[in-house]
Amino acid sequence: MSKRIDLVNNLYPTTKFIGVIVIILSAFIVPGWKYSYSIFFVCALIALGSGKLKSYLIITVNSLLVLILLIFLMQSILIPSKEILYKIGFINVYKDGFYQALNLSSKLVAFTSAFILFFRVTTVKDFILSLENMGLHPKVTYVIMSTLQLIPEMKKEAGVISDAQKTRGVETEGNIFVRAKAFVPVLIPLVLSSIAKTEERAITLESRAFSSGAKKTRLYNIKKTRNDTIAIIILVVFLILCIGWRVLTIWHF
Amino acid sequence: MAFLELKNINYKYPTSEDWVVRNIDIKIEKGEFWAIVGKNGSGKTTLCNIMRGFAPSFFKGTFEGEVIVDNKNLNDYSEGEKATKIGFVFQNPFVQISGVKETVYDEIAFGLENLGLEEQYIRNKVEETLKLIDIDYLRNKNPFELSGGQRQRVALASIIAMDPDILVIDEPTSQLDPDGTEKVFEIIETMKNKGKTIILVEHKIELIAEYADNIIVLDEGEIILRGETKDILKNKVLLEKEIGIPQYSILGYELRERGFNIDIPTTEEQSINIISNIMQKKVIV
Amino acid sequence: MSFVKVENITFKYPDGTVAVENVSFEIDKGEKVAIVGQNGAGKTTMVKLINGLLKPSAGNVIVDSWNTKDYTTAKMSRKVGYVFQNPDDQIFHNTVIDEVMFGPKKMGYSTEEMRTLVKKAIVATELDKYIDENPYNLPYSIRKFVTIAAVISMGTEIIILDEPTAGQDMKGIKTLNKLIETLHKEGKTVITITHDMEFVVNNFDRVIVMAHKNVIDDGDKRNVFWKKDVLIESKLKQPHMSSLADKLNLEEKILFTNELVENIENYK
Repeated sequence: MSKRIDLVNNLYPTTKFIGVIVIILSAFIVPGWKYSYSIFFVCALIALGSGKLKSYLIITVNSLLVLILLIFLMQSILIPSKEILYKIGFINVYKDGFYQALNLSSKLVAFTSAFILFFRVTTVKDFILSLENMGLHPKVTYVIMSTLQLIPEMKKEAGVISDAQKTRGVETEGNIFVRAKAFVPVLIPLVLSSIAKTEERAITLESRAFSSGAKKTRLYNIKKTRNDTIAIIILVVFLILCIGWRVLTIWHF
Repeated sequence: MAFLELKNINYKYPTSEDWVVRNIDIKIEKGEFWAIVGKNGSGKTTLCNIMRGFAPSFFKGTFEGEVIVDNKNLNDYSEGEKATKIGFVFQNPFVQISGVKETVYDEIAFGLENLGLEEQYIRNKVEETLKLIDIDYLRNKNPFELSGGQRQRVALASIIAMDPDILVIDEPTSQLDPDGTEKVFEIIETMKNKGKTIILVEHKIELIAEYADNIIVLDEGEIILRGETKDILKNKVLLEKEIGIPQYSILGYELRERGFNIDIPTTEEQSINIISNIMQKKVIV
Repeated sequence: MSFVKVENITFKYPDGTVAVENVSFEIDKGEKVAIVGQNGAGKTTMVKLINGLLKPSAGNVIVDSWNTKDYTTAKMSRKVGYVFQNPDDQIFHNTVIDEVMFGPKKMGYSTEEMRTLVKKAIVATELDKYIDENPYNLPYSIRKFVTIAAVISMGTEIIILDEPTAGQDMKGIKTLNKLIETLHKEGKTVITITHDMEFVVNNFDRVIVMAHKNVIDDGDKRNVFWKKDVLIESKLKQPHMSSLADKLNLEEKILFTNELVENIENYK
């Protein structure tokens, strides 16, 4: 079991990224909505094999459900056309709109599933490392990584500030107008203290020789393996097959 | 030539109207432990920034004078060299973690990675530091999950791992509880015993009396007193300038006023000796 | 007549961790109380339960006849003022005077009342010469006084100070000492969380010691520093003079320098 989990997880990030691009391209190349929708399940299978099924499902379903419903609502019910597919009470589900919604939503599902899968099987650390290996400046990668870490920190800080202002009579419970008034007393200290902290953090970085200019050692590094080459070959072949399929189906008609 | 020398320094930040520190002349020998005391706003942090080379290179501003470290002008050190020569730890433990490392182990390795040192050397150094600072039990913890006191010790460890000759430490215990404070001072003492040159800014005057050999007193940006701690800390000028002297010294002065002919103590230990002598009637009244 | 009544409260965080367990005590109007103990013992949680920021999972906290469960924190702020440890978590105005005026504006005072309260607060915190300054241009220790002024200007009967001496120099501590005396003279109830035993000895009469989510001692400061088991369990340090007196094996429970001097005089 553990060997299977590691197979996809241990692929080099750019390999995985290429995989995602190939999957998305295939969804646009292969005609119809059935293939694109199936990508959700294919990605789920890969997630299962990588031990990330639960988080994959939770995030994908949460992101897509409302959107898909909205698309169907807008396209198939609000935009009238000649043929009516179903009647639900006094609501008409129009045929053209319905199939358009199906198509549109299927591409969205393919796109989203692939991206969410990518971030489930790739750690931020590895992703950033691969960017650095491609030549991204360490200062940029530092900004990206520290921002990701800082977002939960800022959330916590906002909570503390909100508490502090509550004790000065700033009401935070109630209707939208009441809450809106609490915005400024929380936002300003948050921004100001973040700015002050940024300066102090910069000093911390200087103290750790961040701008020393030396080539940085990396205690952890990722490398491309034979598996990556194999994966790329498979992906390219797959893409060619997809293009072939489309050509064939077009010729057919 | 002294190991760390500040010659004729005047400095002000870009937004300051007037010099923040003035006429600063300091000579510190290798391995010495100097404390800097003074009211808030007297220029202590600025002095630390100057010693570490952050003023003016990081903070800009107007700078006059020279800082010489180990016979070389501080300006002639590269940023990386400065970091290895002079370590810097300051008050707020919450901004002294890099923010990009997920374990304390990696956090301590961060500075060494930045210096481009060899991997095995880095691993050895991190292990060594974890044991020296007694934080081995924290090695796999996420720095963001640590308490203030723990973060401060990790910050110290991260700097100490870079093996600087000089440590500039600015109010490291202000935000800590007594336990955290004690652990930080233990680390500082360990560094002192390893022969590091230490400059420490602190308000806790009784702890300064116990640990620091020498002291510089700042008032409104200028040095008004300097010398051995045991002599300077008794000086009543410190009271006049609202900087403070150890309670033990205040006790000593009051006992003198009552007629006891004693030396003025600055630490608890000295007080015990002196008062024991009084109690055993060994003191002239 | 108890002003603050803590009735057998327990507090659990949403994830189930217990922060405070089975705590009961009462504070009378006008008392000066220090809450001490290690970090993590439950001090801050305890104090947040008093001002309504947290509501007890079990038990009740009644402040001047208001049960904290029945009021939002903002409403409770009419009774209890709380100065947070970090002033940068509270300051959001461009000038000191605006910051200090913010709280009382919400209390519904008349303009005259407000002016008096604000003036008294500024004087008590010695911020007179800084009133038009931007708080962020002032040193951290002065900013701490800005938040103290901003809270006492609200005129609440109870004031809670969270680690007011952290980062302060001798002058700042003197100002704090004077401030607490002023508040006491006005009949305010002053509660503090602190690690500074000298500060406790100089300003407070009653000490509540917390350890492991409980109150392990509650009484006169004259007694607590000689209860060895309490000191060990709470990792509390004795004030300097007490520790010295203890090491000299003096019988008297000494807290202040002058007491020690008096005692030693006997050896003339």
